[in-house]
Amino acid sequence: METVIETNNLTKRYGDITAVDGLSLRVAKGEIYAFLGLNGAGKTTTIRMLLGMVKPTLGEAYVLGSKIRIGEKKPWDSVGYLVETADSYPELTVRENLEAMRRLRPGTAPQAVDRVIERLGLTEYTDRRAGTLSHGNKQRLGLAKALLHNPQLLFLDEPAIGLDPAGIVEIRNLLIELVREQGVTVFMSSHILGEVARLAQRIGIIHHGRLLQELDVDELERNRRRRLLVRARNGQAAHAVLASAGFTTEITSDGTIVMKDRMAIERPDDIATLLVNSGHPPTMLNVEEEDLEHYFLRLIGMEEGGTR
Amino acid sequence: MNNLAQAIWVEFLKARRSKMPLFTALGFALVPLGGGFFMIVLKDPEMARRVGLISTKAQLTMGAADWQTYLRFLTMAVGGGGIILFGLIASWVFGREYSDRTVKDLLALPTARSTIVLSKFFVIALWSAALTILICVLTLCVGAALGLPAVSPQVFWQSGITITVAACLTIALATPIAFAASAWHGYLPPIGVMMLAMGLAQLINAAGWGEYFPWSVPALYVQGEKLGMVSYVIVIFTSIAGLFGTLFWWEWADQTH
Repeated sequence: METVIETNNLTKRYGDITAVDGLSLRVAKGEIYAFLGLNGAGKTTTIRMLLGMVKPTLGEAYVLGSKIRIGEKKPWDSVGYLVETADSYPELTVRENLEAMRRLRPGTAPQAVDRVIERLGLTEYTDRRAGTLSHGNKQRLGLAKALLHNPQLLFLDEPAIGLDPAGIVEIRNLLIELVREQGVTVFMSSHILGEVARLAQRIGIIHHGRLLQELDVDELERNRRRRLLVRARNGQAAHAVLASAGFTTEITSDGTIVMKDRMAIERPDDIATLLVNSGHPPTMLNVEEEDLEHYFLRLIGMEEGGTR
Repeated sequence: MNNLAQAIWVEFLKARRSKMPLFTALGFALVPLGGGFFMIVLKDPEMARRVGLISTKAQLTMGAADWQTYLRFLTMAVGGGGIILFGLIASWVFGREYSDRTVKDLLALPTARSTIVLSKFFVIALWSAALTILICVLTLCVGAALGLPAVSPQVFWQSGITITVAACLTIALATPIAFAASAWHGYLPPIGVMMLAMGLAQLINAAGWGEYFPWSVPALYVQGEKLGMVSYVIVIFTSIAGLFGTLFWWEWADQTH
């Protein structure tokens, strides 16, 4: 497995504040790696360190085999990036902004500008000044600058921000296509687990500058809590039947019985049979999966009612 | 220097598409036009008072309506106003990258950051030189149109040399302003630094130490003060410090904007 990004004990402190704390991670070639965390978790600082914009206090980072040092030129000809907000020169048109970027990336063909304009759906805005674009189209222009030179590695900081739902799906498909067809590696940050779970193969969860967990999307599915929700016309009686059968149950104020036993979750049909045979047939059986946002908040210790 | 020509092309594109060249040209054009106005007044002060060009209280101590007076007005404007105008250009060229939050797009490119900084300085120098040439040409046109009495070509040559040296000195002093724009992330802080430098220049000049303060030197030079080599060395040293400070900042400082 070829490693495209590697960090060892990467740390950034600003005075007493530790923005990134001992981050060690590996990203393989052709992978979409999502870096997930709340605002201020250290995602952007990490990306800036990986791009050589911010000097680590401790540790080191390698990108495409080159050690990142402030002021180094390598390996930027193969890297595209969108950090924080997508900003462009407001008085320049979409084409001029891209042309300026093309000239600062020697070896990028002049046709690349038209190609990326088309690819990002900016054709009708080609000669519009960037300052007059909608938020979504500014984001597209930012992505176009990142993709202009067909990079091997893309750093995208919150790429879906400002895009409408159709735009999000479009960009998601574009990134998947780049990974599948061109073997591009994507390192993206987000604070929305639901979004990254649809796109990334691996997810790193960062909180207060520390990498809490790295997991594959399959593991994410496995780690999410599940529970069986049961309703019957006489909730209390049904609850008593299940409890006497040895199940651990809770009953909510609206009379829904909540079961967390693995056996109940995996075999809800047995629960139905038990209730039918006891004369309290269920009016509802529902295996509910913990939603991604709850899972994320639980992982960082911020379940409902919790604090940061 | 890798890709310097392309980086300069990009900087010129950004400058050309903004309104700054127009505004700075209009601002600096006030020098020959204002000078021309005073030439009209000085030619016939009584007529100027009668038609209301100047009030009866106006003190006309500039000199006479001739090329020497007009060119002296021009050189004084370059020596004093140049610091402000060229400083404004440097504030904008560097500061706008922070105000528009576009600086981050210039930091991880195959074109070195030092190349981008040098291309910006190249554009500032050329832009400032072009403005100086513009006001010189305008001065000649306005003077000729007013029919100022003919003088020997020596007068024009001498003024030309003075203006060239004054422009070089004032353009050189734009580098610390560029550093301020980079270090304080925008175009307002460097304007504050420039105003502070100008205020200090007045103060230090009044105290009699002006020849040792870089921002006083151009004004003293155009006033015809006898300056020692040390004054020029101080300006050159300040300029080099500003240049390397800016390069160092772009290469080595944490870039969080």
